[in-house]
Amino acid sequence: MAKPTAGTRLRDRIGSITGGTIAWVYAALLILPFYYFVVSSFKDNDGIFESPLALPASWDLSNFTDAVRQASLGPAIANSAITTVAALVLTLVLALPASFALARATGRAGRIVEALFSLGFLIPSFAALFPTFLLAAAMGLFHTRTFLVLLLPATAMPLAVVILTQFMRTIPRELEEAASMDGASAWQVMRQVYLPICIPGIATVLLLNFLSFWNEYLYALVLIGPDTAQRTIQVALPTLKVDAGTDYGMLMAGTLVTLLPVYLVYTILQRQMQKALVSGAIKG
Amino acid sequence: MAVLVEEPPVRSAGTPPNRSRRGATGVGEARGRFPTFAIPALVWYGLFMIGPVVAMIVIAFLSWPGMLVTPTFAGLDNFRVLFSDETFWAAVRNSTIQIVVGLPVMIVLAFLLAFHVVQKPRGHKVLRYLLFIPALISAPATAMMFYAMLNPDGLVNGVLATLGIGGKAWLADPATALGALIVVDLWAGIGYSAVLIASRLDGVDGEVVQAARMDGAGSWRLAWGVYWPIARDFIGVVAMLQFLSMLFSSAQNVLLLTQGGPGTATTTLSYLVYQKAFVDTDLGYSQAVGVVLFVLGLVGMFIIRRVLRRTH
Repeated sequence: MAKPTAGTRLRDRIGSITGGTIAWVYAALLILPFYYFVVSSFKDNDGIFESPLALPASWDLSNFTDAVRQASLGPAIANSAITTVAALVLTLVLALPASFALARATGRAGRIVEALFSLGFLIPSFAALFPTFLLAAAMGLFHTRTFLVLLLPATAMPLAVVILTQFMRTIPRELEEAASMDGASAWQVMRQVYLPICIPGIATVLLLNFLSFWNEYLYALVLIGPDTAQRTIQVALPTLKVDAGTDYGMLMAGTLVTLLPVYLVYTILQRQMQKALVSGAIKG
Repeated sequence: MAVLVEEPPVRSAGTPPNRSRRGATGVGEARGRFPTFAIPALVWYGLFMIGPVVAMIVIAFLSWPGMLVTPTFAGLDNFRVLFSDETFWAAVRNSTIQIVVGLPVMIVLAFLLAFHVVQKPRGHKVLRYLLFIPALISAPATAMMFYAMLNPDGLVNGVLATLGIGGKAWLADPATALGALIVVDLWAGIGYSAVLIASRLDGVDGEVVQAARMDGAGSWRLAWGVYWPIARDFIGVVAMLQFLSMLFSSAQNVLLLTQGGPGTATTTLSYLVYQKAFVDTDLGYSQAVGVVLFVLGLVGMFIIRRVLRRTH
């Protein structure tokens, strides 16, 4: 590399300042909206428009209670929770045996099945929303959260299978052979030898899909629809935005309510969540 | 649920080598044969994922002008209509601008951010925590946030007013609406991309960096001369991820913020699929756009791979 000249040194100086500036400007852009949201959710429209960044005059929770009532956020949170948990369980029930089988398979069939799952990353599943809607109608499950519980695990299958199969491949064959010599069935081998070693992989799959199931919007909007008894929180939230005369304080209070569970999980499981998000994306 | 077809492993107290072989075939009989335990997942995935995509391709060749109308075979008619439709070309233009402008900006900024974070400057832990935030937030919550900030009475105009600058209806003005959507993409995408790229930069060999420093390389040259070439392949993967999510899922933000308007100023291809299916119920047309989207996704991935392929 060439000796640094005054020019390159200046450029380096600028470079390092740029990196830091970008980082903190972006950080500010991430935090500012939250500050704005929190203070606005305690104000009425006039207060929000006139002094957007000022602290609220009083910490009155009426925006929150109004938001919860007007958009029926209570049942919506329950629906989201039921859908997310049921879909997560189903995802594991399907993905664990599949990964177990693929990790142990040595023949060509195993490789083909694995390739089929990997192809899933290329599917613009959203573009096929209309056929999916037809499928829901054909199954008699249109406008029910039940259909979403069945559908979401399928969308998660490629990533879940890839992650879990990788984990299961790390298990030494001797361990399994020892178990099988003791007369364990394949089912027992899976439960007693493979599952305990896969716990980190299972955690990754659960965390990633918790996020994507809880945050799912378009499928929920089209397939579950507007029925307040069935709709999820992500569908309920935008109903607070009205073409004429949105109550912004209420909208922001409602948005904060929908973010709460995710933040709770992120704060408690920060490390694992970060690891899950990184490893999930890369395998995808 | 399928049951693994296999003979129950017989516990013979016979000769050890024989027994060991027997054990291996007992449980491992499925080894090398069809992975039976994968059948439920495969069926599920086929029914809910592959099925609809195949149906999409079929419907693209049908004339189906409404849900209650019986579809008829139309050959390439949908594509002919599509390619002579101004709205379609507006959508192609918007999606192209969105990606050609948004993606490079996102990746370059994310790279610089990631580079900054892996130097472990003061506060890098706080930065890492914050960078994940957009990845946690759902599309509706993000959209509501920008709706509240960009509307005529929102935060942006409020701040501009204190600086004595007149505001704008950012989402309703054809001149700024698409730009506003790109800003939403950037806000949401930079942090996550940076986190992913940082995970790769963390693995760069410290000795290489040390040697470059000894040679007098400053941050700028270190970033572009050392880290970028090493992480190039990986950055390509991140770019591909973000490309696909912009191309395929832009419909969500468009639906939540602008409904494609004003006029067709923010109609992207992904939103056009949605609009034609669920608003105009021109189903053949909608799914034909879906097929175009699918093909563009493949072509774009191929291009990104070529551009960011390891050169040495």
